[in-house]
Amino acid sequence: MFFDVLLIGIMVGAIYTLVTIGYSMVYSILKLMNFAHGDVYIFGTFICYTLLEKYNIHPLLAILVAATLGGILASIVEIVAYRRLRSEQHRMISMITALGAAYVIQNSNELQWGNQVLSFPPILNAQTLHIFGLAVPVTQILILIIAVGLIVLFTLFLKYHPYGKAILCVSEDIPTASLMGIPINKTITMVYFIGGMLGVVGGILYSTSYSAVSLAMGFRGTIIAFTAAVIGGIGSLGGALVGGMFLGICENFIGVYVSSSYRDPITFLLLIIILLVKPTGIMGAVEQSKV
Amino acid sequence: MQNIEQRSDKHESTFNNIIKFKSLLENQVYKKIAYILLLLFSVFLPNIVNNMYYMGIINYMILYAILCMGLNLILGYTGLLSLGHAAFYGLGGYTTAILITRYDFGFLPCLILSGIIALLFGILLGLPTRKVRGDYFCLLTIAFGEIFRLVAQAWIDFTNGAMGIVGIPIPQIFGWSIRTETDFYYLGLILLTFTFITLSLLVNSKFGRAFIAIREDELAASVMGINTAVYKIIVFGIGCFYAGLAGSYLAVYQTTITPSNFRLEESCLMIIMVIVGGMGSLLAPIAGVVVMTIATEYFRDIAEYRMLIIGVIMVTVLLFRPQGIFGTSAFKS
Repeated sequence: MFFDVLLIGIMVGAIYTLVTIGYSMVYSILKLMNFAHGDVYIFGTFICYTLLEKYNIHPLLAILVAATLGGILASIVEIVAYRRLRSEQHRMISMITALGAAYVIQNSNELQWGNQVLSFPPILNAQTLHIFGLAVPVTQILILIIAVGLIVLFTLFLKYHPYGKAILCVSEDIPTASLMGIPINKTITMVYFIGGMLGVVGGILYSTSYSAVSLAMGFRGTIIAFTAAVIGGIGSLGGALVGGMFLGICENFIGVYVSSSYRDPITFLLLIIILLVKPTGIMGAVEQSKV
Repeated sequence: MQNIEQRSDKHESTFNNIIKFKSLLENQVYKKIAYILLLLFSVFLPNIVNNMYYMGIINYMILYAILCMGLNLILGYTGLLSLGHAAFYGLGGYTTAILITRYDFGFLPCLILSGIIALLFGILLGLPTRKVRGDYFCLLTIAFGEIFRLVAQAWIDFTNGAMGIVGIPIPQIFGWSIRTETDFYYLGLILLTFTFITLSLLVNSKFGRAFIAIREDELAASVMGINTAVYKIIVFGIGCFYAGLAGSYLAVYQTTITPSNFRLEESCLMIIMVIVGGMGSLLAPIAGVVVMTIATEYFRDIAEYRMLIIGVIMVTVLLFRPQGIFGTSAFKS
């Protein structure tokens, strides 16, 4: 029982990490709470759902198309709603346009797919393996492998690929990066694109493992991403991993051992406690304010 | 070069005009006359508007005006972004609902207690501002709001869960029983006037100047000897007090109260109203309330497109006028 819960917790944690990465990168570059993140990922998940249900496209192709469309949507949101306001005096302004963009996407999703829970088709192998007497569903293992693989791939991309290095530079200091000849607008749009893509893949994996997709998962996704990012320490990949895992595992243990209706309140309470004890998150560095 | 000079000239002249206009408005005599006229107009409004449907909309506007003026104190005067305002609104609502239905309290003590309980929780949530800054504080408020709503949903013995508390009786104040829309309008008007008078007294006091200083430059304010942490906590608590009052009003006005009245969307809506109206000026949020309420009602026929239209309004207003419709100055970072 304990190991089952732990395994599912790790799987959910890996999915949360995927959703959090894009969010955390955007935050570390622009200091912008991207409220539209969750709605973008649910858009991609719905697209994947439609492709699978209506057109019977091969799951891999469907995921690829959905992720690309999600990335494009995220980039469009950035170009339309955030770019003009980047030099605005106060970040709160762009936060509100982010909220507005979230409403627009959410409402468009609702018009297209409605707000009831749809059953998401299984796209992965649904067998069960028996390892050391434990019943381990293959789906869970595959999801874990895909999620961890993407996280590793993204980390390598950031470290070694020139574009990845450009992203790190921009997140360090925008004016200096632009002096070094890095195209700021393109890099930021790329961050949104990648963040959107990873978010969509996370959303699809989440929907497969619970075989359900609904509109309400969008806003919850935004909150989850923000919470995980803050718990781990915002802006770092390691932080996203720690935060996502922590959230996934805690949620499952509380849900199973304490009470499922108090699962979310207790998770949020944990967040408050962590913020009070260590305001920068578990892995976060102390931010120094310039005078 | 010339081009730039011309542009700056143009800016200067518009700027001067704005200053002139503002000084006209700031003339105390004109201001008082305007307020008295506004109050007279408000008192006779029910005689002009005979339609109960419109009265209902106006009552909701008053409710949101109270909420937004309190939120504006937090947002516009200290720069703390609170996305958990609906929780304090809900605390007020549930306090009144539970005390009236289970313990036979009168409405007036309920109203005051609702405000005080919201104030206490506000101060409690404000305490972390000493350590947690900016966006993290925003997340704290989201977390608090969600905890409140989810507990209200899960604690069935106390709050009756998702069904909510129904059958809240007609409130009575000193023998005046508040039944019709018009009665509720006057109750709302009294609360709104109370809110406005107390807030303007507060903002124009020594205390108010201190927290405006904090908003303009926190570091400079603290160097001047203002205890920024304490001021922020107190201001946060006071903003929540008004949310408690509004919640109490909502409970008796709707006669039912459910956790879905206090979702995160509600907090977002309040923030939008404040920002669309303009932050940092006492009456400007009311403009936001009026615009957003009318937009919501006007688009009721095409309800499925409502959030889409509201979202587009938000994005366009802020792209082209970041300080809000009637805001005086945009936020400084």
